This record gives sequence, structure tokens and C-alpha cells, in this order.
Amino acid sequence: MEQPLVQMRNVTKKIGKRTIIDNLTLELPQGEVFGFLGPNGSGKTTTIRMMVGLMSITSGDIIIGGYNIKTEFEKAIRNVGAIVENPEMYKYLTGYQNLIHYARMTPGVTSHRVKEVVEIVGMSARIHDKVKTYSLGMRQRLGVAQALLNKPRLLILDEPTNGLDPAGIRELRDYLRRLAVQEGIAVFVSSHLLAEMELMCDRVAIIQSGKLIDIKTIGRNRDVNEQIRMVFEVDAPQEALSTLKASQIAAELVGGQLIAINADKAQTAAANAALVSAGIGVFGIRTDVKTLEEQFLEVTGGERIG
Amino acid sequence: MVDFINLIRNENMKIYRRPRTWVMVGFIFMLILIISAIWAANTSGSVSIWDAVYTETDILYMLVTIFVVVVASSGVAEEFSGGTIKLLLIRPWSRSKILLSKYLASVLFAVFLSVVMFAAAFLINWICFGLFNPYSAEEIVTLGDGYKPITYLFLYFCLKMITLLVIVTLAFMISTVFRSSILAISISLFLLIIVNTIVMALTMLDYAWIDYLLFSHLSLVPYLIENPRYDGSTLGFSLSVLGVYYVVFLVITWYVFNKRDVAS
Repeated sequence: MEQPLVQMRNVTKKIGKRTIIDNLTLELPQGEVFGFLGPNGSGKTTTIRMMVGLMSITSGDIIIGGYNIKTEFEKAIRNVGAIVENPEMYKYLTGYQNLIHYARMTPGVTSHRVKEVVEIVGMSARIHDKVKTYSLGMRQRLGVAQALLNKPRLLILDEPTNGLDPAGIRELRDYLRRLAVQEGIAVFVSSHLLAEMELMCDRVAIIQSGKLIDIKTIGRNRDVNEQIRMVFEVDAPQEALSTLKASQIAAELVGGQLIAINADKAQTAAANAALVSAGIGVFGIRTDVKTLEEQFLEVTGGERIG
Repeated sequence: MVDFINLIRNENMKIYRRPRTWVMVGFIFMLILIISAIWAANTSGSVSIWDAVYTETDILYMLVTIFVVVVASSGVAEEFSGGTIKLLLIRPWSRSKILLSKYLASVLFAVFLSVVMFAAAFLINWICFGLFNPYSAEEIVTLGDGYKPITYLFLYFCLKMITLLVIVTLAFMISTVFRSSILAISISLFLLIIVNTIVMALTMLDYAWIDYLLFSHLSLVPYLIENPRYDGSTLGFSLSVLGVYYVVFLVITWYVFNKRDVAS
């Protein structure tokens, strides 16, 4: 089996007597978009800073691409491109000079590659303007460009959609998915916005007060044969229940005109056919998956920061 | 090695692409021009080019020091205040090497600005006092007995550079430790200007530790005239004390920078 790209083992960070991160263990395989979700102050940024060597690790290890970030920093960080919080650039330099600056620091990054990333993020028209004239969205793109310069295997983005408008968020989201699917880059993205994570990620880790609470797989990646709770909206719920019972399908009334069954795709179609042939009007069929928000509130107990 | 030179090129780009650097250079140039022009207008040939160069560089070295302190102080501190330190440190380079590139760029700037000042002083004063002067420059020179003027100025330049190097290192250390360029600039200049005067007075007192204060040894030029100096210390002793401070500054700077959690 392929070794995971990132391994965190019992990572703990203490500042003074306060434990910021408590025994965090995670694995991130190649090519996955992995969400890191938690309320403000839960330790997301601290974890990311430890992953890129900006903060020391009190105990435990972070291994990236087979190298320990503590002891083999220079080799481990070669696999990584990152934006930590806002993409702050040298404002008195042009976008291009900023990229050249980072390109010079990474062996093997040519000026050809710099042009390439400028085109990837669609900044060709303004790249020779000073950064202080850029909008936030353009700075964000320049940030992505510098993170891609070294063709990383792991892209780390800390709250990447902060300050972006809906179009910008959507663009970033599509772009990240494309990177993960086409180039096999693993993306580690932190956010406190649930809906956004749901659209962007394959798996989401939920963290609260420095502790890992749960790891969820997002709905769209479920197995086709998996049983899902389906809700039917019908005109005659009692009749529908007995019809389904006759067809050996266990159903329950969930209130009003709604009935629910547990079924995979084929069973859902069969249930629908049975209802229609019995002359029952079916108004709608939908999956009854809890949203990430509901799951999140469930696992964190809706707790506030004390 | 080639790769490390790239780091220095980066730091140089961050210094010389800023307009303020060229304002500093222009300001020094203008001041020399103004002083020489006024001086030349009010004397008739009795001033030698050497005296003019010496007087002007002596005054302007203070300004050069201030400018160099400003640049050295902002090197590390502004990376922190601007947040760019985060993107700088996640490259495949150890923190020590990144810091070294910044330090060397600051030292190079100190040399650059000093050379610019000397070159401008020579050029402008050659035009004002050398070209049309009926007297031989050597005849009317008044400085440094026993030295040829050019030798004297060269030694003067070297001693001033040593002092400047120590001050740059001090400013660089404060900037790294406190991550504030304003603080680094104020403390360096305060120590340089105010404390320097107090120490002059302190040397009158008879405490042994005064001999080991940094500020008793920042002024090296008097050794050109008399060695040992007025307070009895020799050039060798002064250089040793400065050397010890220099090493201590570097050790503190590197230790703090390597240990620091970047959390801003």
C-alpha cells in the first residue's frame, strides 16, 4: 500500500501551561482534498504552522513525503506549497518580482515555470503591476501562484476563501478539485465555513479545542451500493406504507406526506415503481443526508469558546 | 553556493527596489553638493580638496550611519510586521541561512552607502576645489600629521567601517529580537548619540567596567593621531572589546531567530 503523503503522530503543542493541540493523529493520502474544520481558536492555524515548520512541535511527529519536518525540514518542505492565513506579499514589488523572489529560493524553478503559474492563475495581464495596486482576490491568486511554483505534492491552504466574493470562492473550489484530480496533488485546507468544506473536500476532520473529534467522508464520495435513507413525498402516505410493505420494503412515516426508507439506488427505483403502479402520486424523492453543519453541531455539541 | 547567492540577490532586490533607498543616496549627494558650493563661494582657493573631503565625510558619516541603521533594522522586522516572514520561511532553506542572507545584505548596504558618500565627496570637491586651485593640494592640507592625505583618508574610512559594522550588527540584533523596526532604529540611535555623550563623561570616572563598555570603543578615529588614546586604551584593546560584543550580538540574533515560533 502506498505510504500516506502526510502523517501526523500524536502531535501536541503546548505554549506555557496551555495545551493548544492535544495528541493529534491524522493521515492524508496523495490526491485527496482534505478539510480541516473547526471553530475559531480551535487550533487549525497552529496545526498548519507546525506542518510548515513555522512553529515548533512540543511532542509527536509530522512526516511529509517520508521526511520528518523537525529533523529534515529542508527535504520535507520541498513537497509543500502553502498559504498561511492571508497571502502577504512585498507590496513595493510587482507581482512578477514577488514570484521571482520565491522562485530563486527553490532550486529547479525556472523563469519558464514562473510564466506557467502566472497563466494557471490567470494573472498575465496585471503581473507586472505593483502588488499594492492589487485587489484582495488578485493577491489571493498571487498567493496560489507562489504556492504552486515548486510543483508541490501537498498544497496547504489556511482559510483560503477569506475575503473572496462568491465567484472567487467558486473559482478557487473548482481549481482545487482540478489540481487534486488531474495532478494528484493532495490539498490540506482549513476553514470554519461548513458549507464551503462540504463542496470542496473528500474528507473533513473536525477539530475542537485542539482535539480531533471526528473524521467524516463527504456524501458525494459514497459507494453506489451503500444504503441511504431516502424520503418520498406522496399524496397518500398510509396507502404508500402498506404498498411498500406488500413489496417487502420497510418504510416509516416521518410526518405529513413524507415517508422514509433505507435503500440503495436500485431499491429506490423499485420502491418508486411499486408506488406509481399502485396509483399513488409521488411528488418528490430525495436523499436524507445530514448536512455537514448538522453533523458538526452534533459532534461539537454546539459548544462555544469559553 | 550559487543558490545562496540567490538569497542575497533577493534581499538586495528588497533594499534597492524601494524608492526610500534612492532618496537616501540622493540626499547624501545633495548635501555634499550644497556644502561644497557654499564653501567654494565663500573662500578663494585657500581650501584643499583633502580638507573638504575630510570635513564633509566626518559630518555625513552620522547620516550614513542613521540610514544604514534604518535599512538594517527593517530587514527582519518588516518581514514580521508585513506577514511576509511566513512565506519566506517555508522554503527549503534553514532559518540560519535566510538570516545570514539578510545580514550580509545589510552589511553590503553599509559598504555601498559609505563608498557612494566618499566617491561623491571626492568627485564634487575635485570639481569645486581641485580643478582650478592655484595652490598644490598637498601644501595646504591641515589634517593628520605624518600621513599623506590619501593614506589618512583610507585609514579613516577603514576605522569608520569597523564602527559601522558593529552598529549595523547591533541594529540587526534588536530588530530580530523585538521584531520592531521603530524600536531597533530608536534604540540604536539613542545608544549611539545620547549614551555616547554620557560615556564621554563617564570615562572621567574611575570605574574599571567603563573600559569594557561598547560605547567607550566606538570612536576609533582618534587612534590615528595618538595610540594609546586620551583615556589610555590602545587600538588593539578597543578592537578586542568590539570583537567580543560583535560575536555576542551575532550569537543572540541567530539563537533568537532559530527558536522563534512565527505566530503573528
